[in-house]
Amino acid sequence: MENLINDVLLGLLMITGFAIVRMKSLLGVTMLTSIYSLLSASLFVVLDAVDVALTEAAIGAGIATVLMVATVALTTDEEKVPRHTPLLPLLVVMATGAALIYGTLDMPHHGDPLAPAHRYVADSYLHDSPVEIGVPNVVTSVLASYRGYDTLGEVTVIFTAAAGVLALLGYRTRGRNIEAAGIRKQVVLRVIAKLFFPLILLFALYVQFHGDYGPGGGFQAGVIFATGFILYALAFGLGTAQRLIPSQLLRILAAAGVLIYAAVGLESMLLGGKFLEYRVLADDPIAGQHLGILLIELGVGITVASVMLIIYYGFVSRRH
Amino acid sequence: MFIAVSSVILIAIAVGLVRAIRGPSLYDRVLAANMIGTLTVLMVAILGFMTGRPEFLDIALVYVLISFVSTLAVLRVHNPGAGTTASSVKGSGEQ
Repeated sequence: MENLINDVLLGLLMITGFAIVRMKSLLGVTMLTSIYSLLSASLFVVLDAVDVALTEAAIGAGIATVLMVATVALTTDEEKVPRHTPLLPLLVVMATGAALIYGTLDMPHHGDPLAPAHRYVADSYLHDSPVEIGVPNVVTSVLASYRGYDTLGEVTVIFTAAAGVLALLGYRTRGRNIEAAGIRKQVVLRVIAKLFFPLILLFALYVQFHGDYGPGGGFQAGVIFATGFILYALAFGLGTAQRLIPSQLLRILAAAGVLIYAAVGLESMLLGGKFLEYRVLADDPIAGQHLGILLIELGVGITVASVMLIIYYGFVSRRH
Repeated sequence: MFIAVSSVILIAIAVGLVRAIRGPSLYDRVLAANMIGTLTVLMVAILGFMTGRPEFLDIALVYVLISFVSTLAVLRVHNPGAGTTASSVKGSGEQ
Protein backbone atom coordinates (compact mmCIF):
# COMPACT_ATOMS: atom_id res chain seq x y z
CA MET A 1 0.00 0.00 0.00
CA GLU A 2 2.72 2.46 0.96
CA ASN A 3 4.64 1.54 -2.16
CA LEU A 4 1.60 2.34 -4.27
CA ILE A 5 1.16 5.74 -2.61
CA ASN A 6 4.88 6.30 -3.17
CA ASP A 7 4.60 5.57 -6.87
CA VAL A 8 1.54 7.75 -7.36
CA LEU A 9 3.15 10.66 -5.51
CA LEU A 10 6.38 10.28 -7.50
CA GLY A 11 4.37 10.25 -10.73
CA LEU A 12 2.50 13.41 -9.73
CA LEU A 13 5.83 15.03 -8.79
CA MET A 14 7.21 14.22 -12.22
CA ILE A 15 4.16 15.66 -14.00
CA THR A 16 4.43 18.82 -11.88
CA GLY A 17 8.11 19.10 -12.71
CA PHE A 18 7.50 18.94 -16.44
CA ALA A 19 4.64 21.44 -16.16
CA ILE A 20 6.95 23.86 -14.30
CA VAL A 21 9.43 23.69 -17.18
CA ARG A 22 6.73 24.19 -19.81
CA MET A 23 4.79 27.02 -18.17
CA LYS A 24 5.49 30.60 -19.20
CA SER A 25 3.63 32.58 -16.55
CA LEU A 26 6.02 32.86 -13.62
CA LEU A 27 3.29 33.33 -11.02
CA GLY A 28 1.72 30.13 -12.32
CA VAL A 29 5.12 28.47 -11.94
CA THR A 30 5.24 29.72 -8.36
CA MET A 31 1.90 28.06 -7.66
CA LEU A 32 3.14 24.84 -9.23
CA THR A 33 6.29 24.87 -7.11
CA SER A 34 4.16 25.20 -4.01
CA ILE A 35 2.16 22.16 -5.21
CA TYR A 36 5.48 20.39 -5.80
CA SER A 37 6.48 21.09 -2.23
CA LEU A 38 3.13 19.85 -0.89
CA LEU A 39 3.49 16.60 -2.82
CA SER A 40 7.09 16.05 -1.75
CA ALA A 41 6.19 16.65 1.89
CA SER A 42 3.56 13.90 1.61
CA LEU A 43 6.24 11.70 0.06
CA PHE A 44 8.59 12.39 2.98
CA VAL A 45 5.82 11.44 5.39
CA VAL A 46 5.30 8.14 3.55
CA LEU A 47 9.06 7.56 3.75
CA ASP A 48 8.89 8.16 7.53
CA ALA A 49 11.24 11.17 7.36
CA VAL A 50 9.11 13.26 9.69
CA ASP A 51 11.62 15.99 10.42
CA VAL A 52 12.34 16.50 6.72
CA ALA A 53 8.62 16.60 6.02
CA LEU A 54 8.13 19.25 8.68
CA THR A 55 10.95 21.31 7.17
CA GLU A 56 9.47 20.97 3.70
CA ALA A 57 6.05 21.94 5.06
CA ALA A 58 7.40 25.00 6.84
CA ILE A 59 9.70 26.23 4.06
CA GLY A 60 8.03 25.06 0.86
CA ALA A 61 4.46 25.97 1.67
CA GLY A 62 5.18 29.35 3.17
CA ILE A 63 8.45 31.16 2.86
CA ALA A 64 9.87 29.82 -0.41
CA THR A 65 6.71 30.69 -2.32
CA VAL A 66 6.46 34.13 -0.72
CA LEU A 67 10.09 34.92 -1.63
CA MET A 68 9.57 33.72 -5.20
CA VAL A 69 6.46 35.87 -5.52
CA ALA A 70 8.42 38.83 -4.16
CA THR A 71 11.09 38.21 -6.80
CA VAL A 72 8.50 38.03 -9.57
CA ALA A 73 7.06 41.30 -8.32
CA LEU A 74 10.49 42.95 -8.60
CA THR A 75 11.12 41.57 -12.09
CA THR A 76 8.44 40.39 -14.47
CA ASP A 77 5.71 37.78 -14.68
CA GLU A 78 6.53 36.55 -18.19
CA GLU A 79 9.33 34.16 -18.94
CA LYS A 80 11.67 35.42 -21.66
CA VAL A 81 11.59 33.40 -24.85
CA PRO A 82 15.14 32.24 -25.50
CA ARG A 83 16.49 33.26 -28.89
CA HIS A 84 19.16 30.61 -29.22
CA THR A 85 18.42 27.07 -30.34
CA PRO A 86 17.95 24.66 -27.47
CA LEU A 87 20.23 22.05 -29.06
CA LEU A 88 23.43 22.72 -27.13
CA PRO A 89 21.73 23.04 -23.71
CA LEU A 90 19.82 19.85 -24.46
CA LEU A 91 23.08 18.04 -25.22
CA VAL A 92 24.71 19.32 -22.03
CA VAL A 93 21.70 18.29 -19.94
CA MET A 94 21.56 14.85 -21.56
CA ALA A 95 25.28 14.29 -20.98
CA THR A 96 25.00 15.38 -17.33
CA GLY A 97 21.93 13.21 -16.82
CA ALA A 98 23.65 10.22 -18.38
CA ALA A 99 26.69 10.75 -16.14
CA LEU A 100 24.48 10.95 -13.07
CA ILE A 101 22.56 7.79 -13.99
CA TYR A 102 25.89 6.06 -14.65
CA GLY A 103 26.95 7.18 -11.17
CA THR A 104 23.92 5.54 -9.56
CA LEU A 105 25.00 2.14 -10.93
CA ASP A 106 27.70 1.99 -8.26
CA MET A 107 25.31 2.90 -5.47
CA PRO A 108 23.97 0.19 -3.15
CA HIS A 109 20.52 -1.13 -3.91
CA HIS A 110 17.45 0.41 -2.31
CA GLY A 111 17.10 -0.99 1.22
CA ASP A 112 20.40 -2.87 1.12
CA PRO A 113 21.35 -3.52 4.77
CA LEU A 114 25.04 -3.53 3.85
CA ALA A 115 24.90 -0.02 2.36
CA PRO A 116 27.55 2.28 3.90
CA ALA A 117 24.83 4.54 5.29
CA HIS A 118 23.64 1.73 7.58
CA ARG A 119 26.99 0.38 8.64
CA TYR A 120 29.28 2.88 10.28
CA VAL A 121 28.09 5.64 12.60
CA ALA A 122 24.33 5.24 12.05
CA ASP A 123 24.18 2.06 14.12
CA SER A 124 26.04 3.54 17.04
CA TYR A 125 23.89 6.71 16.93
CA LEU A 126 20.70 4.67 17.07
CA HIS A 127 22.12 2.38 19.72
CA ASP A 128 23.85 4.89 21.99
CA SER A 129 21.61 7.92 21.66
CA PRO A 130 19.04 6.86 24.31
CA VAL A 131 21.83 6.17 26.83
CA GLU A 132 24.21 9.04 26.05
CA ILE A 133 21.76 11.80 25.24
CA GLY A 134 18.37 10.60 26.37
CA VAL A 135 16.39 12.56 23.80
CA PRO A 136 13.52 10.57 22.24
CA ASN A 137 13.97 12.11 18.78
CA VAL A 138 17.22 10.63 17.46
CA VAL A 139 17.25 13.13 14.58
CA THR A 140 17.58 15.93 17.11
CA SER A 141 20.34 14.20 19.01
CA VAL A 142 22.33 13.57 15.82
CA LEU A 143 21.76 17.07 14.48
CA ALA A 144 22.35 19.00 17.67
CA SER A 145 24.81 16.87 19.58
CA TYR A 146 26.71 14.25 17.56
CA ARG A 147 26.90 16.51 14.53
CA GLY A 148 26.95 19.78 16.43
CA TYR A 149 29.89 21.11 14.40
CA ASP A 150 28.02 20.62 11.12
CA THR A 151 24.97 22.38 12.46
CA LEU A 152 27.08 25.30 13.66
CA GLY A 153 28.41 25.49 10.10
CA GLU A 154 24.89 25.44 8.68
CA VAL A 155 23.75 28.26 10.94
CA THR A 156 26.80 30.27 9.89
CA VAL A 157 25.90 29.64 6.24
CA ILE A 158 22.38 30.95 6.87
CA PHE A 159 23.82 34.02 8.59
CA THR A 160 26.16 34.55 5.63
CA ALA A 161 23.19 34.34 3.26
CA ALA A 162 21.51 37.17 5.12
CA ALA A 163 24.72 39.21 4.93
CA GLY A 164 24.85 38.55 1.19
CA VAL A 165 21.25 39.57 0.62
CA LEU A 166 21.83 42.73 2.66
CA ALA A 167 24.93 43.56 0.64
CA LEU A 168 23.12 43.02 -2.68
CA LEU A 169 19.69 44.45 -1.98
CA GLY A 170 20.15 46.61 1.06
CA TYR A 171 17.09 48.13 2.56
CA ARG A 172 15.85 51.29 4.03
CA THR A 173 15.69 50.77 7.76
CA ARG A 174 12.14 52.04 7.72
CA GLY A 175 9.78 51.03 4.93
CA ARG A 176 7.17 53.36 3.58
CA ASN A 177 4.24 53.05 5.88
CA ILE A 178 1.28 53.64 3.67
CA GLU A 179 -1.76 52.93 5.75
CA ALA A 180 -3.84 52.59 2.63
CA ALA A 181 -7.58 52.72 2.80
CA GLY A 182 -7.54 49.47 0.85
CA ILE A 183 -6.48 47.46 3.88
CA ARG A 184 -9.33 48.70 5.96
CA LYS A 185 -11.72 47.35 3.38
CA GLN A 186 -10.27 43.85 3.52
CA VAL A 187 -12.00 42.93 6.75
CA VAL A 188 -11.80 39.17 6.20
CA LEU A 189 -8.06 39.31 5.60
CA ARG A 190 -7.39 41.44 8.64
CA VAL A 191 -9.53 39.37 10.97
CA ILE A 192 -7.99 36.11 9.74
CA ALA A 193 -4.48 37.52 10.01
CA LYS A 194 -5.18 38.73 13.55
CA LEU A 195 -6.53 35.32 14.52
CA PHE A 196 -3.74 33.32 12.93
CA PHE A 197 -0.78 35.48 13.91
CA PRO A 198 -0.70 34.42 17.59
CA LEU A 199 -1.52 30.81 16.69
CA ILE A 200 1.40 30.61 14.26
CA LEU A 201 3.79 32.08 16.83
CA LEU A 202 2.50 29.69 19.49
CA PHE A 203 2.97 26.73 17.17
CA ALA A 204 6.48 27.93 16.32
CA LEU A 205 7.34 27.93 20.03
CA TYR A 206 5.90 24.42 20.33
CA VAL A 207 8.03 23.19 17.41
CA GLN A 208 11.05 24.93 18.91
CA PHE A 209 10.85 23.48 22.39
CA HIS A 210 9.24 20.15 21.51
CA GLY A 211 11.96 19.28 18.99
CA ASP A 212 13.61 16.87 21.44
CA TYR A 213 10.46 14.79 21.62
CA GLY A 214 8.66 15.13 18.30
CA PRO A 215 9.56 16.31 14.83
CA GLY A 216 10.95 19.80 14.67
CA GLY A 217 13.63 21.99 16.12
CA GLY A 218 15.22 25.36 15.64
CA PHE A 219 15.31 25.41 11.84
CA GLN A 220 11.63 24.64 11.37
CA ALA A 221 10.53 26.82 14.27
CA GLY A 222 12.49 29.78 12.95
CA VAL A 223 10.85 29.52 9.56
CA ILE A 224 7.36 29.20 11.06
CA PHE A 225 8.04 32.19 13.30
CA ALA A 226 9.15 34.27 10.32
CA THR A 227 6.07 33.18 8.35
CA GLY A 228 3.89 34.54 11.13
CA PHE A 229 5.49 37.96 10.79
CA ILE A 230 5.28 37.81 7.00
CA LEU A 231 1.54 37.18 7.31
CA TYR A 232 1.36 40.22 9.57
CA ALA A 233 3.29 42.29 7.02
CA LEU A 234 1.05 41.11 4.18
CA ALA A 235 -2.09 42.04 6.04
CA PHE A 236 -1.10 45.26 7.80
CA GLY A 237 1.73 46.65 5.69
CA LEU A 238 5.48 46.42 5.82
CA GLY A 239 5.81 49.60 7.84
CA THR A 240 3.57 48.27 10.61
CA ALA A 241 5.52 45.03 10.69
CA GLN A 242 8.77 46.96 10.93
CA ARG A 243 7.43 48.91 13.86
CA LEU A 244 6.68 45.57 15.51
CA ILE A 245 10.12 44.10 14.80
CA PRO A 246 12.57 46.70 13.43
CA SER A 247 15.28 45.86 10.91
CA GLN A 248 18.11 46.93 13.22
CA LEU A 249 16.86 44.50 15.85
CA LEU A 250 16.79 41.72 13.23
CA ARG A 251 20.43 42.30 12.33
CA ILE A 252 21.43 42.03 15.98
CA LEU A 253 19.28 38.93 16.49
CA ALA A 254 20.67 37.18 13.40
CA ALA A 255 24.18 37.53 14.81
CA ALA A 256 23.06 36.78 18.37
CA GLY A 257 21.73 33.34 17.40
CA VAL A 258 25.06 32.23 15.94
CA LEU A 259 26.85 33.71 18.95
CA ILE A 260 24.61 31.81 21.41
CA TYR A 261 25.48 28.60 19.57
CA ALA A 262 29.22 29.29 19.59
CA ALA A 263 29.09 30.50 23.19
CA VAL A 264 27.66 27.15 24.29
CA GLY A 265 30.69 25.54 22.65
CA LEU A 266 33.12 27.90 24.40
CA GLU A 267 31.35 27.43 27.72
CA SER A 268 31.77 23.68 27.49
CA MET A 269 35.47 24.24 26.76
CA LEU A 270 35.79 26.48 29.81
CA LEU A 271 34.16 23.79 31.93
CA GLY A 272 36.84 21.35 30.86
CA GLY A 273 35.15 19.54 27.97
CA LYS A 274 35.71 19.74 24.25
CA PHE A 275 34.07 22.32 21.99
CA LEU A 276 30.29 21.66 22.00
CA GLU A 277 30.63 18.76 24.43
CA TYR A 278 27.43 19.39 26.33
CA ARG A 279 27.69 16.81 29.06
CA VAL A 280 30.00 19.02 31.14
CA LEU A 281 27.37 21.79 31.22
CA ALA A 282 25.51 20.24 34.16
CA ASP A 283 26.39 17.84 36.96
CA ASP A 284 24.46 15.04 35.31
CA PRO A 285 25.75 14.29 31.76
CA ILE A 286 22.23 13.69 30.41
CA ALA A 287 20.94 16.93 31.90
CA GLY A 288 23.95 18.67 30.35
CA GLN A 289 23.10 17.23 26.94
CA HIS A 290 19.49 18.42 27.30
CA LEU A 291 20.59 21.91 28.32
CA GLY A 292 23.10 22.15 25.48
CA ILE A 293 20.62 20.97 22.86
CA LEU A 294 17.96 23.37 24.13
CA LEU A 295 20.37 26.32 24.01
CA ILE A 296 21.82 25.67 20.59
CA GLU A 297 18.34 24.99 19.13
CA LEU A 298 17.34 28.36 20.55
CA GLY A 299 20.31 29.98 18.80
CA VAL A 300 19.39 28.23 15.53
CA GLY A 301 15.76 29.34 15.82
CA ILE A 302 16.66 32.98 16.50
CA THR A 303 19.10 33.15 13.59
CA VAL A 304 16.81 31.40 11.10
CA ALA A 305 13.78 33.51 12.00
CA SER A 306 15.64 36.81 11.75
CA VAL A 307 17.48 35.85 8.55
CA MET A 308 14.19 34.91 6.85
CA LEU A 309 12.67 38.23 7.89
CA ILE A 310 15.78 40.16 6.78
CA ILE A 311 15.52 38.56 3.34
CA TYR A 312 11.79 39.28 3.14
CA TYR A 313 12.22 42.90 4.22
CA GLY A 314 15.07 43.25 1.73
CA PHE A 315 12.94 42.02 -1.16
CA VAL A 316 9.74 43.91 -0.52
CA SER A 317 11.16 47.21 0.68
CA ARG A 318 13.05 47.58 -2.56
CA ARG A 319 11.59 50.08 -4.94
CA HIS A 320 10.50 48.62 -8.24
CA MET B 1 -10.72 1.74 4.94
CA PHE B 2 -7.43 3.67 4.92
CA ILE B 3 -6.74 2.36 1.44
CA ALA B 4 -10.06 3.64 0.14
CA VAL B 5 -9.65 7.05 1.77
CA SER B 6 -6.08 7.57 0.63
CA SER B 7 -6.83 6.52 -2.95
CA VAL B 8 -9.75 8.95 -3.10
CA ILE B 9 -7.48 11.73 -1.80
CA LEU B 10 -4.78 10.86 -4.33
CA ILE B 11 -7.30 10.93 -7.17
CA ALA B 12 -8.57 14.31 -5.97
CA ILE B 13 -4.99 15.62 -5.86
CA ALA B 14 -4.42 14.39 -9.42
CA VAL B 15 -7.58 16.13 -10.62
CA GLY B 16 -6.53 19.33 -8.88
CA LEU B 17 -3.12 19.06 -10.50
CA VAL B 18 -4.76 18.92 -13.93
CA ARG B 19 -6.53 22.19 -13.20
CA ALA B 20 -3.31 23.75 -11.88
CA ILE B 21 -1.45 22.82 -15.06
CA ARG B 22 -4.14 23.67 -17.58
CA GLY B 23 -5.12 26.94 -15.97
CA PRO B 24 -6.00 28.99 -17.94
CA SER B 25 -6.09 31.94 -15.54
CA LEU B 26 -3.92 32.45 -12.47
CA TYR B 27 -6.96 32.20 -10.21
CA ASP B 28 -7.58 28.63 -11.37
CA ARG B 29 -4.03 27.79 -10.40
CA VAL B 30 -4.26 29.53 -7.04
CA LEU B 31 -7.47 27.68 -6.26
CA ALA B 32 -5.99 24.38 -7.38
CA ALA B 33 -2.90 24.91 -5.22
CA ASN B 34 -5.10 25.76 -2.28
CA MET B 35 -7.20 22.66 -2.81
CA ILE B 36 -4.13 20.45 -3.08
CA GLY B 37 -2.89 22.05 0.14
CA THR B 38 -6.07 21.06 1.96
CA LEU B 39 -5.91 17.56 0.50
CA THR B 40 -2.29 17.23 1.57
CA VAL B 41 -3.28 18.07 5.13
CA LEU B 42 -5.82 15.24 4.99
CA MET B 43 -3.33 12.93 3.34
CA VAL B 44 -0.68 13.53 6.01
CA ALA B 45 -3.24 13.00 8.76
CA ILE B 46 -4.42 9.73 7.16
CA LEU B 47 -0.85 8.53 6.73
CA GLY B 48 -0.15 9.31 10.37
CA PHE B 49 -2.99 7.12 11.55
CA MET B 50 -2.32 4.45 8.95
CA THR B 51 1.25 4.00 10.17
CA GLY B 52 0.24 4.42 13.80
CA ARG B 53 2.21 7.62 14.37
CA PRO B 54 -0.21 10.38 15.29
CA GLU B 55 2.64 12.86 15.78
CA PHE B 56 2.42 13.33 12.01
CA LEU B 57 -0.43 15.67 12.88
CA ASP B 58 2.22 18.30 13.69
CA ILE B 59 3.06 18.48 9.99
CA ALA B 60 -0.59 18.72 9.02
CA LEU B 61 -0.97 21.57 11.52
CA VAL B 62 1.97 23.46 10.01
CA TYR B 63 0.28 23.26 6.63
CA VAL B 64 -3.06 24.42 7.99
CA LEU B 65 -1.40 27.38 9.67
CA ILE B 66 0.90 28.66 6.96
CA SER B 67 -0.09 27.35 3.54
CA PHE B 68 -2.47 30.23 2.90
CA VAL B 69 0.26 32.83 3.44
CA SER B 70 1.73 32.09 0.00
CA THR B 71 -1.71 32.30 -1.60
CA LEU B 72 -2.11 35.67 0.04
CA ALA B 73 1.24 36.84 -1.35
CA VAL B 74 0.32 35.77 -4.90
CA LEU B 75 -3.01 37.58 -4.73
CA ARG B 76 -1.25 40.69 -3.43
CA VAL B 77 1.06 40.73 -6.45
CA HIS B 78 -1.45 39.75 -9.07
CA ASN B 79 -3.87 42.60 -9.07
CA PRO B 80 -4.90 43.33 -12.63
CA GLY B 81 -7.78 45.55 -11.55
CA ALA B 82 -5.37 48.14 -10.20
CA GLY B 83 -3.47 48.22 -13.46
CA THR B 84 -0.16 47.40 -11.82
CA THR B 85 1.11 44.02 -10.84
CA ALA B 86 4.27 44.80 -9.00
CA SER B 87 3.77 47.62 -6.58
CA SER B 88 1.21 45.96 -4.36
CA VAL B 89 3.49 43.20 -3.10
CA LYS B 90 4.99 45.73 -0.72
CA GLY B 91 2.38 44.44 1.62
CA SER B 92 1.08 47.91 2.12
CA GLY B 93 -2.07 47.38 0.13
CA GLU B 94 -1.84 50.23 -2.32
CA GLN B 95 -4.83 49.11 -4.30
